[in-house]
Amino acid sequence: MTGVFYHPSFSRRSYLTVGRRLADFPAALEPLLFRPHVSLFESPVASDDLIRLVHDPALILQVAADPL
Amino acid sequence: MRRVAAGGLANAFAFIGAGGHHAGRDFFGGYCCFNDVCIGIAEVRRCGLAARVAILDTDAHHGEGTRDIVVDDPEVLHVCVCGRAHVSADGLKLDLDVPWGAAAGRNAAYLAAVRAAFPPRCRAFRPDLVVWYFGFDAHAGDYGDLGLTAPCFLGLADLVVTAAAEAARGRLVVVLGGGSRTDLATALIPPIIARLADAAASAPS
Repeated sequence: MTGVFYHPSFSRRSYLTVGRRLADFPAALEPLLFRPHVSLFESPVASDDLIRLVHDPALILQVAADPL
Repeated sequence: MRRVAAGGLANAFAFIGAGGHHAGRDFFGGYCCFNDVCIGIAEVRRCGLAARVAILDTDAHHGEGTRDIVVDDPEVLHVCVCGRAHVSADGLKLDLDVPWGAAAGRNAAYLAAVRAAFPPRCRAFRPDLVVWYFGFDAHAGDYGDLGLTAPCFLGLADLVVTAAAEAARGRLVVVLGGGSRTDLATALIPPIIARLADAAASAPS
């Protein structure tokens, strides 16, 4: 099985300032989703605890404060 | 990444809302906030699902955030195709510079360079999981234009699917990286997912 992880917010404002590059999704995936080996999942929110597995806690605050 | 590492999925494609590979432990930038790939690796390790991970980064720019996080990690192979040349002492951290040539030959040159660098190292490394950081910003006309076109990206998809099958029981996660054009996203992403689906359909259950 192939999992496709997507969230509608990605099509509204994907990749920050670069624009709506994913505006055609998830519609562009429809033919694939008829295939028996493809499933679409909604990407979950990453918790702060998960992010802190890798990043300095201060980075979370810096990202939150960034105007982008 | 957790579902693939656990074996519930053969492979996966992850769309993103912000980039990842320019985010290091304590810095961020380049449209990247948090390092999605490294967070995924940390999570599968925390869950005891995987330890060794091979990363191929074909975004147009150097993944300095990922390198910052994994630089001293002997359980991560990181091959970054980024316009600079570097090989770490242990051979596990590689930056790959693909020489510019005539426009007509760039797809073939790029694919040949990646084919020479990644699959052999991946087979020798024997990862539990392969991650392809797929940016289409290197496509002709996008902001990281390296003159590449669709056949190159589809060739890369075939290459990583094969490498994962040979080295990691097919366990592959494709994480979307850079690229700005809607037409390119729409043209490139579905056929890449189709290749993952073909591989999943033919994988032993």
